[in-house]
Amino acid sequence: MNTTAHNEAGPPTTNDASSGTPTRADADLADVERVLAGEVGAFEGIVRRWQAPLVNMAWRYCRDRGRAEELAQEAFVRAWRGLATWRKESSFSTWLFALAANVYRNELKRFPTVTLAMEDIAEPAREADQLTKIEERSHCEVVRRAVLALPKRYREPVVLFYFHDQDVAAAARTMGLPEGTLKARLSRARELLRRRFPKLGNGQAGSSVAGAGTEGGA
Amino acid sequence: MTDKRIDEILGAEEALVPTSGFLASVMERVREEAAAPPPIPFPWKRAVPGLVVAAGVFGWAAVEFARRMGPAMATMKLPAAPVHLAAGASGPLEQAGWVVAAAAVSMISWVLARRMAS
Repeated sequence: MNTTAHNEAGPPTTNDASSGTPTRADADLADVERVLAGEVGAFEGIVRRWQAPLVNMAWRYCRDRGRAEELAQEAFVRAWRGLATWRKESSFSTWLFALAANVYRNELKRFPTVTLAMEDIAEPAREADQLTKIEERSHCEVVRRAVLALPKRYREPVVLFYFHDQDVAAAARTMGLPEGTLKARLSRARELLRRRFPKLGNGQAGSSVAGAGTEGGA
Repeated sequence: MTDKRIDEILGAEEALVPTSGFLASVMERVREEAAAPPPIPFPWKRAVPGLVVAAGVFGWAAVEFARRMGPAMATMKLPAAPVHLAAGASGPLEQAGWVVAAAAVSMISWVLARRMAS
């Protein structure tokens, strides 16, 4: 499967006036208003819609399934407590993701996950095009885990950038950073990964943000 | 490793499906939170007079202590200090001592407060 977490749940959409179908954003707004009016059960709709994105986002922060669900649960509880603070200037998803990122960051600061140092992560002995399917999968997982070994200021931009389907603006909103800063940190993170795994992949650079990541100042 | 390869690896993450009990456990916690009585606010109205009195007593005690100990300390000799320094700098040295003592008390209270908070 090649989908990211929030794709599964679908991105927030605007009102589809032509069909009259209630959208995710409409449903969020309606549920929030019902919760604020005192209907606790209405929060279930919010959890149902956002559980997959929040669990997947937490997974990318810690790569531990049990911990990811704990973190996502904590994020939902904080969202419940702070629902009245959503000012509706931004979409509900933007507010929820920013809150969740804050919860994950703080919880992982209090109880960090066990990660290897960058230099302790083994690099594959062979070039990427010589790897078998199993080796390929295992090496991809090594690179994903290596993201957690990046210095803190570069780790989160990488996590959120790929969680948001390589959308710099969305990742920057979630982190509360200017886009230029996020691009600069992404660029530095990529440089660290490239340096650590020189043998993985031998094509030319040409990603959607390869250029974007090298511009913009911190 | 190229940027393209990094995008391929990090962008192609398999999506996790939350466990079947996740929704129920979140809602259970939310219902617990909803049923819990609101947190008791700090009783500032009752506490403020006590805090004011305590601050006054401590202030008075500090002033009284300084007033009584001042002459006693002024008569104390500083054996370690050279004569030419003691003559000119006994005032500043005394002040420095008080500054150090105040800084030490602040430091201790800060450390205690951090320990109590954590």
